[in-house]
Amino acid sequence: MAFNYDKYLRLEKMPTLWCWGCGDGVILKAFVRAVEKMGLNQDDVCVVSGIGCSGRFSSYVDFNTVHTTHGRTVAFATGIKLMHPDKHVICVAGDGDALAIGGNHTIHGARRNIDITLIIINNFIYGLTNSQTSPTTPQGMWTVTQKAGNIDPTFDACALGIAAGASFVGRESMLDPKKLEKILIKAMEHRGFSFLDILSNCHINLGRKNKMVSAMENLSWIDSITTPKKKYDTLTEAEQLNIFPTGILKQDTEVREYCDMYKDIQDVQQKKRAIITQDDFAKKI
Amino acid sequence: MGTFKTENPGNAPVWVNTDNCKACDICVSVCPSGVLGMRYEKTSTLGAMISIDHPEACIGCNECELSCPDFAIYVADPKEYKAAGFSFAKLTDDAKARQMLVVENNYMSLDVQGVK
Repeated sequence: MAFNYDKYLRLEKMPTLWCWGCGDGVILKAFVRAVEKMGLNQDDVCVVSGIGCSGRFSSYVDFNTVHTTHGRTVAFATGIKLMHPDKHVICVAGDGDALAIGGNHTIHGARRNIDITLIIINNFIYGLTNSQTSPTTPQGMWTVTQKAGNIDPTFDACALGIAAGASFVGRESMLDPKKLEKILIKAMEHRGFSFLDILSNCHINLGRKNKMVSAMENLSWIDSITTPKKKYDTLTEAEQLNIFPTGILKQDTEVREYCDMYKDIQDVQQKKRAIITQDDFAKKI
Repeated sequence: MGTFKTENPGNAPVWVNTDNCKACDICVSVCPSGVLGMRYEKTSTLGAMISIDHPEACIGCNECELSCPDFAIYVADPKEYKAAGFSFAKLTDDAKARQMLVVENNYMSLDVQGVK
């Protein structure tokens, strides 16, 4: 007997529609194992996904699932979380989903610090629609919309998360599933907005035209651009160029969570407390 | 409809579900002790299929199972496997050398020539 995945997956949807060697499957597996390790009831977890290859995530897991419109995962999840503050709400979005079309929702979800775990599956390209430039596509790579080479500066997703005010920010790649499982557990246990940038491969649509034809070539490229945060901090500025630190980049348990603050509004309406004023906040602006 | 085959088919340290395998080579690349390899298979999409060539060398590290995106490879639970009277092998230099050769052979089993 191996680990029992049957319990958490919709077997009628298997095998997955993802390409061979796609990192999405590894992330799905790590997520399922993380949920099992945390001992969560399937009814207490809600997985919200958007559009893209990552959008299929919610079809494969047997939890409460919502497959939403493009980029609006955090918006839908905010509604779900406010109605059910005791449930674990997990958003799964791709790099185009969370950082391009849904960038605004991502920023404001993070700003409110609502207790949602946002998993950004970052494969550096719009994979489902065949290789258009995404906000994270490295400069100089070939895409169908930038056939002379991509000139757009790239997004550092975690820097965005930190700046927007997410209280837990982490980055991991699908190369190390054990670390991935650990960071997923920490993110889900964290009360507040958890922002995870998980680097994944797309050797089909990114690699094919960028000299990374097989899954293994694409993965070794990801390996070459990541380094654990502890080691990253010891590097000089010149060495840090073109390298992403991995691990937990920010964890702040002091910030108040949005559902807790929303409870104050309910109390005001139910006349259990006086109206909220500036004196209620240490940091007002 | 996919099946998972999480049940051990008969005291194997590692086993595969060929219905789910898409032959991406990831499990072969992460194995430290040269247990796995790819073989030609006409009916598979990429023309290859995973094969367990040296189950006796499996050290039970679980890397292949965790890295498989398609729920196609499973490793026995260490506690159950030991309770059944079996034990995983220790990582030997021979096994490490074999793994290097498999990687050099484009993740194909050592008795198979060429690329897929």
